[in-house]
Amino acid sequence: MNNSLPRLIDGMIATLRNEVIPHVDGEFARGQAYGLIYMLNSLRLRADWSPAFVGEQLAAQRELAMMLQDLGVEASLLPEAGSADGIDMRALEACRDDNDRRVCALLDWIDDQRSTLAPQRAAAIDEALRRYMQRQLKWELSTSAKPMFAEISSGSE
Amino acid sequence: MTRLNPESPQAGSNLQDDSRLRLRLAAYLQTQTGRAWTLGPFTRYAVGFSWITFGFTACEEGAEEHGLILRLGPPYGLFAPYSAQPQFAALKVLEGSAVPAPRAYWWSDDAAILGAPFFVSERVAGTAPVPWGTGEGSGFEDGYRRRIGAQFVSALAALHRQEWHGQGFDDTVTAGNAAKIQLDFWEQARERWALRPYPMLHRALRWLRRNLPQAPRVSLVHGDYRLGNFLEQDGRITAILDWELVHPGDPHEDLGWAFLPQYAMGSGLICRLVSRDEFIAQYQRESGIAVNEQSLHFYRVFALVKLALTHIAAVRCFEDGRFNDMRMPAMGTQIAPVLRQIEKMLP
Repeated sequence: MNNSLPRLIDGMIATLRNEVIPHVDGEFARGQAYGLIYMLNSLRLRADWSPAFVGEQLAAQRELAMMLQDLGVEASLLPEAGSADGIDMRALEACRDDNDRRVCALLDWIDDQRSTLAPQRAAAIDEALRRYMQRQLKWELSTSAKPMFAEISSGSE
Repeated sequence: MTRLNPESPQAGSNLQDDSRLRLRLAAYLQTQTGRAWTLGPFTRYAVGFSWITFGFTACEEGAEEHGLILRLGPPYGLFAPYSAQPQFAALKVLEGSAVPAPRAYWWSDDAAILGAPFFVSERVAGTAPVPWGTGEGSGFEDGYRRRIGAQFVSALAALHRQEWHGQGFDDTVTAGNAAKIQLDFWEQARERWALRPYPMLHRALRWLRRNLPQAPRVSLVHGDYRLGNFLEQDGRITAILDWELVHPGDPHEDLGWAFLPQYAMGSGLICRLVSRDEFIAQYQRESGIAVNEQSLHFYRVFALVKLALTHIAAVRCFEDGRFNDMRMPAMGTQIAPVLRQIEKMLP
């Protein structure tokens, strides 16, 4: 997900309160909606994104760093090690984002240095970066729910 | 029309309060025309994430009642801060042209008047056809699809033929810098909106910058030309809507956007209306502009980049608490699929 979990929960609660409950006629149904708000507030106090999700992203970054190291890319340019063993999700996400910033800088670097690098080495670095980006996107897609935009737009299932 | 004080302290407040808006708009119309106006109840249209749209009836003292549209660009909107000037200028330029568009009457960027930049235009009859679902077939009856499809292409060809210089648009855009200006705009938008880095998006932006095309001419570009952004009645397109991204640029830009797979929805047709070959043949015939395949490829990639950035903007708006609309985080889930499509289009 691209939004933070607390903000998503706050948005869901506000939507239920302002957009849904005022249009629900039945007392029982409205009560159920308040039950949802209560449970969402409870989740907000204890839940967080799964470390396994960010863990896979960090693993892909570690693998990229190793491949690029083998290709002789300077250590200061490489993604840094991070693991899902940590318990602070904010720190894990910050590590992932910092590493992706390094990947963006590497994309700039390879373009700038291409004329000075051996063609085979440049192609191997390109390929490593491409595979990394593919792996990250594939992971995001495989952990996404089936879209419901038709239902969202039409208001019916 | 006025263009003052967009940073007014009351900017954006009370934009949901339609009774207050009615009073203030009636007062504004009186100052503009010197006559009293009676405005009917406002109906808010649930469209878009940017401009707030109201429909209402209006009666100028001693004249007949007619339908009007009020559009407001709130300071918390997806692409804020807004100016109503480009939309108003585009609609004025297109009056009496072959592009079906609402007549525009008044505009102002002075937030002290209604709380946000706004313009008032004619209310055109019709509905916006959007067949949901995916898979083979357009979702439209074949004859209807062909009739609407031909008008859809014709209107775009007419827009791209339209003279626009000296009407308040950026006159510095040339065939040589049109692509760069747009790329700069969207790249700066990434700096404002993105909450995290997206390496595939970065790669795409670099590729675009290395492959900037020369425009065949500088045309008025709609910026969001697609199914869902026009009204239709009795098999006739009555108005092209949603001009908030209008700008002078390379006409291929509108083709790239209309050709997005998101609007084909699995039909294999451009906007579920017309085949790619038919679209290009008719467009070339009517616009007199030869479609360059390399430029089209560039603008198809650019369209996906703009779409990814629009989703990123939605995530940002939601995260900042500017909206609680659940469509926004839902749009955020589409960043990865769009980046995957970009990856498949890059060499």
